[in-house]
Amino acid sequence: MIELTIYGRGGQGGVTLAKLIATAHFLRGKHGQAFGVYAAERSGAPLQAYVRIDDNEITNHNQVYEPDHVIVLDRTLINPQILTGLKPDGWIILNSPDGPDAFAEQFSGWHVATVDATTIAVSNGLGTRAVPIVNTTVLGAAARVFDMSLEDVEAALVEVKFGGPNIKSAREAYERVQVKRLKGRLAAAPSAPPKEPVAGILDDVVGAMPRIKTGSWATRQPERQTLTPPCNHGCPAGNDVRGFVEAVGEEDYDRAMTILLETSPLPGVCGRVCPAPCMEACNRRLFDEPVNVRELERYAADHGQRPDPVKPWRKERMAVVGSGPAGLSAAYHLARLGYPATMFEGSAELGGVLRTGIPTYRLPRDVLGEEISYVLQHGVDVQSGRFIDRADLLKLSHEYAAVFVGTGLQDSRNLNISGSATDLMEQGIDFLDRVRQGQVRLDGEHVIVVGGGNTAVDAARSAKRIGAGSVRIVYRRTRAEMPAIKEEVDEGLEEGVTLHELVMPLRLDRDGLGPLLTCQRMRLGEPDESGRPRPIPDTSEDAQFDLRCNRVILALGQTSNLAILPEGSEIRKDGTLLGLSGAPIFAGGDFATAEGTVTAAIGSGRSGAWHIHRTLTGEDLFPPPSEPVAEPDVITMHLFNHAPRENSVMLPAADRRHTFKEVRLGLADGPDRHPAVAEAGRCFSCGVCNDCDQCLNYCPEGIVLRDGEGYRFDYGYCKGCGICSSQCPRGVIYMSEL
Amino acid sequence: MARAMETGNHAAGYALAVAGEANRDARGCACGAYPITPQSEIIEFLRGFDFTKGRVIPVESEHSAMAVCIGASLAGARAFTASSANGLAYMVENIFAAGFYRLPIVLIAVNRTLGPPWNIWVDQGDSLMLRDAALLQFYAESHQDLVDTILVAFRVGEDQRVLLPALVALDGFVTSHTQMVVDLPERELVDRYLPHCNIPHRLRGEHPATIGGLTWPRETEHHRVEIQEAMERVPQVLAEALDEFEHVFGRRPHGALSAEHTDDADTVLMACNTMVRTLRNVVTARRDKGERIGMINSKMFRPFPRQELLAAVSNAKRIGVLDRNHSPGSGGIFWQEVAATLQSRPDVIVQDYLVGLGGGDVTPEVIDEIIDDLNAREKAGEPVWKEVAA
Repeated sequence: MIELTIYGRGGQGGVTLAKLIATAHFLRGKHGQAFGVYAAERSGAPLQAYVRIDDNEITNHNQVYEPDHVIVLDRTLINPQILTGLKPDGWIILNSPDGPDAFAEQFSGWHVATVDATTIAVSNGLGTRAVPIVNTTVLGAAARVFDMSLEDVEAALVEVKFGGPNIKSAREAYERVQVKRLKGRLAAAPSAPPKEPVAGILDDVVGAMPRIKTGSWATRQPERQTLTPPCNHGCPAGNDVRGFVEAVGEEDYDRAMTILLETSPLPGVCGRVCPAPCMEACNRRLFDEPVNVRELERYAADHGQRPDPVKPWRKERMAVVGSGPAGLSAAYHLARLGYPATMFEGSAELGGVLRTGIPTYRLPRDVLGEEISYVLQHGVDVQSGRFIDRADLLKLSHEYAAVFVGTGLQDSRNLNISGSATDLMEQGIDFLDRVRQGQVRLDGEHVIVVGGGNTAVDAARSAKRIGAGSVRIVYRRTRAEMPAIKEEVDEGLEEGVTLHELVMPLRLDRDGLGPLLTCQRMRLGEPDESGRPRPIPDTSEDAQFDLRCNRVILALGQTSNLAILPEGSEIRKDGTLLGLSGAPIFAGGDFATAEGTVTAAIGSGRSGAWHIHRTLTGEDLFPPPSEPVAEPDVITMHLFNHAPRENSVMLPAADRRHTFKEVRLGLADGPDRHPAVAEAGRCFSCGVCNDCDQCLNYCPEGIVLRDGEGYRFDYGYCKGCGICSSQCPRGVIYMSEL
Repeated sequence: MARAMETGNHAAGYALAVAGEANRDARGCACGAYPITPQSEIIEFLRGFDFTKGRVIPVESEHSAMAVCIGASLAGARAFTASSANGLAYMVENIFAAGFYRLPIVLIAVNRTLGPPWNIWVDQGDSLMLRDAALLQFYAESHQDLVDTILVAFRVGEDQRVLLPALVALDGFVTSHTQMVVDLPERELVDRYLPHCNIPHRLRGEHPATIGGLTWPRETEHHRVEIQEAMERVPQVLAEALDEFEHVFGRRPHGALSAEHTDDADTVLMACNTMVRTLRNVVTARRDKGERIGMINSKMFRPFPRQELLAAVSNAKRIGVLDRNHSPGSGGIFWQEVAATLQSRPDVIVQDYLVGLGGGDVTPEVIDEIIDDLNAREKAGEPVWKEVAA
């Protein structure tokens, strides 16, 4: 009788190896017996399998206590314990990249055979490096030791229905196994530790199972991490989007406002006009629809109380040039850091592009006014009607401890249109400012707006409101490439604006019937440097056509006017201007970055304030590199229920055409409906634990614990099954290999 | 015969499948199937078997698995299923129903410890809880014995003189999951050995009938007497079934009770399942040293072979019963049967040993200790806990 013990881990095929060895002998007319000691039917748990071979019927059904040979399938299980009961002339067959000499001390005096079965198996596609299936490979090595031929091995593999890669792998192992009798005295197994007394069923907590320390059972353990939610990552203003959404979900609007005001003074503005890159980044977009963050921000701003403003306590005075979103943000954050700030604005009223460039049907004046007022309550002085030129700026830099320049985009891009009627052209941003001041009516006029951004859509919708007979937007790419906020385009179309895609104006002339815009039809080509397909002129015969109109509004984007800056200076990437005489001058917002969104300007204003603070005090408020973003693959989507997005109530399109009343009325509460809370409840809280208890509820061992300090794992009793991790809806729990 | 290396579970699955297949020209076969460790591979095997006229019907519980068997059997099919431990416990109501309906369903019990606390290893407490069902019970000692006994169980249970369900038990893991060499009976021989299944009281469309309705005490008493009489006919039917088995397959499975070396033995040990094979090795070794020791393989638990037992121990002074089970408040369940049978033999010491519970490995050393303890006894005592895993 030959007896054999195999040490391995669940999933490595130890029991099957036992069967293969027994089968190889069975096929030679012997009796064989193969079995495993089953317990944890789980990948990675240590297990033993046994083989008996004899010429006669085997009547021993006990476990093997004194094996003739041992096989160890897993490197982590190679230890002196495997010598327990091993007969002195026995072989130790190890799956190891190291040769027998590496075990000279551990297994001195023993016959040792080694083979790098993991590498051989993986190279033949048997399992992965993390979970290699090495049994058929080790069979080849064992064959050399047990005096089996390759034919025996192959016959056994065929009998147990193993195919080509297994046979190839076994053959490689057969050829590459290294065997050696190690020198020295026979190493002995350590004596077994005394058994601990068995716990009674009523011990510990009443009714609890006797607990078993998991020991080497676990090969991995759960860990917790906090990832950056993609919305937070995507917010140019740096808002804790997930955090404020959670507060809205708990109907704590004051807290939501406090969270938003940490980073932005303009939640009411952003809740209305932000293009919401957070929503584009939202992982929920891959499940049904992104969380309606913009409306939730507006809801928080409409319902939450702002905390009492702090007053400046430092002596260094700050100058902020421009009162658009960048300037307001810079002044606000400087004031919160304790600096008395003075804001210089060329116009009579504060707000910059928020006031002049965004129509009131999108951003009501009172909302803007309230948020500007909150900034000013922080002890910010205002000098309005005061345009700062280059000489003024240099002067300010001597009078103030630091200057922030956020004058936005002053120059509009033009289009090279020739013809006799170019006097009918007007820049969109100027048009919008004139509309705002009530200086223009377009009764019955036919208007063409050129461009695809928000200014184009704003101009078109405003034109409709002041009586235009028809409004057409012409854009040289297609709707999919329009930079304008999608919903704004939808709303414009609802209001009767029409969109002409793939059209570029060439000439604006007059004939006997009036003005006439000659256009070129375009088509989409290869992507340009912006990643969008490049519009190229269509060369077909009827590719040029005329459109009748009374007025052409150009909305092709704006550029910053750098004339204010001292000669020879340039804007550096981090938004600072250094090396000037006098105080440091910092630039931000569209003026410096041309990002073109309110939210980016807010973020830029805040980092300008932080730059200034760091320069003056050395204190660095910039956060350390944030945690990795919670990508969609860490979200366990199937644990969530589909739920339609809650949307804003809209002013009916018919009512919109003639007034500048706000179009979007926000998430409206009903007697039995609280859409803001429902919408906030759609948030996955990606990468951030929100105490959902899913891990605690699903842990089969009850080792996830929660107390006042949050969750922790009782690793002493964790078997590493990974259920907590697979049941974590938001990627907070991951398994680390031990 | 096809000699193969198979697990006990696959061997059992094969035996059930070929037995079912042998009824293909009659009313076919059916298996209500619900998996549980360590029985699952039986169900897997059956699900993969291509029956000519038969179905394996997956259901949502063991209770329903037996209900499927009852329905199929009432329709005249050869019916069988398998379970373990708490699965058997959940099946109990319908096992009693199958017996009282007199349906010769074959039930494989892969012995496993009843929980909680959860334990998947062998312990006979699960099948022995069915002690009082109208159910034949066999305990197989090896893969070969298992395969052969399953065929015998169909033949005996379906015999018109018996018409009772039969349970065949094997050790969880020790037998169910161990690869051993086994001769799998060829289908043609099984076709010869097993007559078509005939359920005389099966439901027929042309004769609508109710079965199992309300009865008065008088009728119930009568039915119980009928069941007892059927049980009493089993030894004769079994003997014929073993003769026929030997005739067809050329080997003879163990009978209800096998006495080995008891003629001259002062000390007799009794066990079943794979413990018997360890016991046999120990007894052989001791006899080689000249000890007057014998053993009994108590393969059949119901009906309990009282007459065979009395005959086997006619010269014994001491009987030790190895019970891999425990009836709380009493002791070992086989021991109760032996003690009751030997009430006419006050001269014999009948001592119980509770051993290998919860799957403890009963080694030759453990059995040697038990024999030494028994030989030293002047009179019987309370059941002895022989904790092998302590």
